[in-house]
Amino acid sequence: MSRKGVGIGAFDRSRLTSRQFASHGSSLRASNTEALTTQLTVFRSLLQQFAQTHAKDIRSDPAFRAQFARMCTAIGVDPLASSSSSSSSGAGGGLWAQLLGGSVNDFYFELAVRVVEVCSRTRGENGGLIGLKELTERVSQGRMEGSTEISPDDVKRAVETLKPLGGSYAVISVGHKEYVRSVPRELSNDQASVVEAAQVLGYVSVSMLRDNLGWEKARCQTVIDDLMSEGMLWVDKQTRGEWEYWSPTSMVDTEGVMEPALDGG
Amino acid sequence: MSAAIQTEAGDTFPFPKDYSFPAFFTRQPNLQTHHAQLEKWSALVLAYAHHHRLFRFSPTHPVFHNKKLDRRFAEADVRELLEHMRKDGRAEWVGNEVFVYWRRPEDWARKLEKWVEDTAQKGHVLTLYEITEGEATLGTDFHGMDGEVLLKALNHLVKRGRAQIFGQDDSLGVKFF
Repeated sequence: MSRKGVGIGAFDRSRLTSRQFASHGSSLRASNTEALTTQLTVFRSLLQQFAQTHAKDIRSDPAFRAQFARMCTAIGVDPLASSSSSSSSGAGGGLWAQLLGGSVNDFYFELAVRVVEVCSRTRGENGGLIGLKELTERVSQGRMEGSTEISPDDVKRAVETLKPLGGSYAVISVGHKEYVRSVPRELSNDQASVVEAAQVLGYVSVSMLRDNLGWEKARCQTVIDDLMSEGMLWVDKQTRGEWEYWSPTSMVDTEGVMEPALDGG
Repeated sequence: MSAAIQTEAGDTFPFPKDYSFPAFFTRQPNLQTHHAQLEKWSALVLAYAHHHRLFRFSPTHPVFHNKKLDRRFAEADVRELLEHMRKDGRAEWVGNEVFVYWRRPEDWARKLEKWVEDTAQKGHVLTLYEITEGEATLGTDFHGMDGEVLLKALNHLVKRGRAQIFGQDDSLGVKFF
């Protein structure tokens, strides 16, 4: 069926199709539920075969692994289901164990431990808010050559496993970036707006916020002071004008924010 | 004896990203942030000194002024940093400068001990000058070492009964046991 139909003719055609579907919908559902269940079961075992055939790729390619994990979740196979390595039941829980060489718990548990380590170590400089990319890079540092490459997706899943720790650890989205928060206090809306504003140039100032968010000066200063006391902003007082408040993630994020003066300048 | 001060253009030291962060040069008011800032500056100073094999550092060293960024870590803040490093055992005041211990004297002592062992120098006598400038130490870390830092290291060996120092100020000698 062509999607590019124009004019009244196309409109009628699509309406007709919808009506057809609507009228047959319920009968379709009734008779096909059983078929669908069967299909899912078949698909599940095909997925398992696929996994075993492409185990090497899944183990070594984070993007591929992430896709695969999404597929598993979509069809009800829990990639994080625990499995004992001695079990050879071949059920969904054993799938990841085979792929990642050891209990899936081990992989994500070890990763979660490293996440906690890095977050603790960097809390002083970032107040407990760290960019997901930066966290992924830091967690990957110091690992042995040839070990599985860690992706931001892996880190996100590892953070999920930390939920039982009482809400301290969470992945949050602010603007176009993802962060991992490792302190219990959530960002207020105003704070999130400022963090987002800082993504553009790496820093904010009172007048920048006033001009771009339409806030009064007092409100700007209050939110900035809040974030400063949380340790989530660093202040630059040598601007010869307004003070500028920098997001610590731009200390490491070189995506077009600051050119690192690595030539010693 | 300190090495010539490097100008920033042509400085071979691989500066960390922190160094390009304008706020890095402002003494942070938040306590936790300030502590993290001191740790980062400490690491930078130690790495810089190690790279250039500097044994002494002045609070007015050019490294605290990033010309490209037009930012300067103020002298008072540098002194605070050096105090922090002193408490960490990584610096020691000598006049208006500090010894910067990118390798602590006790670690220098251990290296010396090993070198004495490896080169079968037990029972031999060496002048401190020979250690820092002599042919025998060419290619080792000891060559070009600051004489006073060497002395501190040797004193550790003396304390453990592994060496004896004698002589006058200008020509001190050491015997290893």
